[in-house]
Amino acid sequence: MVFATRDEADSALYEKRIDLSQATCPNREQRANGINIFYGKASDLIEKARSGCLQNHERGFAQSSGCSLNFYLSVRVGTIRDAATIFHAPVGCSSSALGYRELFRGVPVELGRPAEYDLHWMTTNLREKDVVYGAGDKLKKAIYEAQERYNPKAIFILTSCTTGIIGEDIEGAVADVQPHIDARLVPIHCEGVRSRIVQTGYDAFWHAVLKYLVKKPEKKQTDLVNVASMLSYTWQDRLEIQRLLGKIGLRANLIPEFATVEQFQQLSEAAVTAPLCPTYTDYLSRGLEQEYGVPYFLYPSPMGITNTDEWLRQIGKYTGKSDEVEALIEEEHRIWMPKMQAIRSEFDRIAAEKGSKVSVLGSLGQGRLLAQMPFFDELGLVSPAAMSQDYDNLILEELEEVVSRVGDFDLLVNTFQAAEQSHITTKLDPDLTLTCPFQGGAYKRIKGATRIHALRGDPHPWSAQSGYTGAVAYGNFLLQALKSRSFQKTLKEKTKDSYRDWWFKQSNPLYYMKRVV
Amino acid sequence: MTKIRSVAIYGKGGIGKSTTTSNLSAALADMGKRVIQIGCDPKSDSTNNLRGGRSIPTVLDAIRSGKPVELDDIVYEGFGGVLCIEAGGPEPGVGCAGRGIIAAIELLRQKKVFEEYKPDVVLYDVLGDVVCGGFSVPIREGVAEQVYTVTSADFMAIYAANNLFKGIQKYASSGGALFSGIIANSVTLPVQREIIDDFASRTGTTIAEYVPRSDTITRSELLGQTAIEYDPDSTQAEVYRSLARTLLKNEERYVPKPLEAAELKVWAESWSDRLLTKKNDARSGSGSREIASTST
Ligand code: SF4
Repeated sequence: MVFATRDEADSALYEKRIDLSQATCPNREQRANGINIFYGKASDLIEKARSGCLQNHERGFAQSSGCSLNFYLSVRVGTIRDAATIFHAPVGCSSSALGYRELFRGVPVELGRPAEYDLHWMTTNLREKDVVYGAGDKLKKAIYEAQERYNPKAIFILTSCTTGIIGEDIEGAVADVQPHIDARLVPIHCEGVRSRIVQTGYDAFWHAVLKYLVKKPEKKQTDLVNVASMLSYTWQDRLEIQRLLGKIGLRANLIPEFATVEQFQQLSEAAVTAPLCPTYTDYLSRGLEQEYGVPYFLYPSPMGITNTDEWLRQIGKYTGKSDEVEALIEEEHRIWMPKMQAIRSEFDRIAAEKGSKVSVLGSLGQGRLLAQMPFFDELGLVSPAAMSQDYDNLILEELEEVVSRVGDFDLLVNTFQAAEQSHITTKLDPDLTLTCPFQGGAYKRIKGATRIHALRGDPHPWSAQSGYTGAVAYGNFLLQALKSRSFQKTLKEKTKDSYRDWWFKQSNPLYYMKRVV
Repeated sequence: MTKIRSVAIYGKGGIGKSTTTSNLSAALADMGKRVIQIGCDPKSDSTNNLRGGRSIPTVLDAIRSGKPVELDDIVYEGFGGVLCIEAGGPEPGVGCAGRGIIAAIELLRQKKVFEEYKPDVVLYDVLGDVVCGGFSVPIREGVAEQVYTVTSADFMAIYAANNLFKGIQKYASSGGALFSGIIANSVTLPVQREIIDDFASRTGTTIAEYVPRSDTITRSELLGQTAIEYDPDSTQAEVYRSLARTLLKNEERYVPKPLEAAELKVWAESWSDRLLTKKNDARSGSGSREIASTST
């Protein structure tokens, strides 16, 4: 297809209009040609995506996985305090929600975690009979039960592969029951089979929030900033965002973890929707603008000093607080820049000693990919390759920009495939390698290795990554991981290798990829 | 225990599978065979004509009740001692009927129905097209060993038969059922026979029996009976008896060669051309009158 203008070509790259008359969103594959397997130059990926030739492939063997229900939603929706969650699913689909309950309990109440922290968790426990006969009545019963047990303001109904495959009439059940109960019913179509790109779960969630929960704005709240956060941002990030916005008289409407139903209802009244992660916030931001005229921006994320400055400036623009933001930036720089400088000089010193810049292999989601490469640059680090859970055309332009700023790099796109990651770690042999907690743990290597981020439930100050305190904390964390090798040493001595030599002798980290002709 | 002859009978909805199957069961029972007929259709009316037109509770009803299932709950005796079982299914538009068939057949296995009743013949009467994995269960893994299909000269019926052939071909190498013959139903006009014969030769299959349309069937079914019960001396009853004899001795089992979608289309078009020519000839007085009333 030939496009007359660049704009035309761009708009063809992904579906921009959100259709709330539909039960749910299109999946990321349809919406933005999402893929989750690729290894090569970022420039090559860009070229393929631009020309429309980017293709997803099968893996002949996959190590681990997560679905849009169990990985992206169950853990987060369950924290919404005045709501209840019904998993319309076999009981196993909802099990990971229970694990996360424990994780979040690690956050001390003093740091703002609600003391009353119970899961309002229910499952329709679908079985063979329900598959054959449908389980609409069971769902309705569960809804009434949820209303009675918890008297919630909203009831989220999460779907599963089973309901998707047999074509359960969720909307029908919702329409039947809604007039008879107080809680707002919010069906989310997030069945695992729908998409290979787990981020479809994000979009499905926002679609439901936009369709069923957000209210028409009664008044504009000019000091309210919508901030949607993805799983890997930590409790400290949350505090940092609140601190920064609080200093200039703004309030962060932080969703979804630990938000109230009212916070969702008010999304339409905010002055702006700001991203922590563009690919996570995208659908919500576009929807809020389209339906209620709430402005938004998608880049940058507040990671690293420059990006945080820019992030605040954007917010300043939409809230009429540009002067306050400039003053804030100045004040913060006075406190944090010397600390950043100290970290940078330490990295520079190590670099001088070894005769080349310190290299870090980053592993990240596509949102982080954009934010983190420039941050490494700030610290004086280089990255021989980046890793991303998945890729889709939503970030195409920004990826182009990153490449033009920091130069070309290798890019591994893979969801949860630790072996592929360990393969390129061994091949590229960086000074420091970062692993995603979901992507397999520590590698046995004598050089630096640490986790790339902590989970939401990690309240420790060193786990911060957002804003200014985050930039310093994360910089320090990386420095520490580079210097301290005792963990690696012990690991090397005491444990066997995870993979055989054979694996590392393969020239291609995507050895298990099945090519489609 | 002598070897059970287990046969699946497929065909497009409304083509007369249940009529064929229950007449076959009745004829076999008449010949002294112990027969089980299993209806695998959510409509669950396969065995009605063996039971005075009355429906029986289905296997899936029994599963749904939640009570432990006994054989008495699902096996009912009909004409000539034929044991009738209906798999059943969900309400229209709800749940998954295919999974229902799988669950029902699994239950029959667990309950050791065949060991218990030691039938000579088991007939599975399966809904139309092979629409999903559930409906293909009787031909997979050799649940049934032989497959027959009921078809008329109607294109959609032939289309369904061709689809069935694809299913058989798919599972043939992994122990699935093999094909044993076409039951050509409602063949009254010579051209209908020609069409089915031609289809059979194209797909490398054989015809087990030609069954003409008949008033006897219409009348017997109004009473909820098979032709064998209603009018044992009728020609129609004899046709089914002949089919029953074929079924008992037919050892032919082979993999049909289904037509590709495009081939099938070309084939159907060639027939409609021929029919048109014949019709025009008939109008101009040169062809057979009979053809003029054919609708294919
Ligand atoms: S929704 Fe599907 S993929 Fe997700 S946990 Fe349930 S069965 Fe597994």
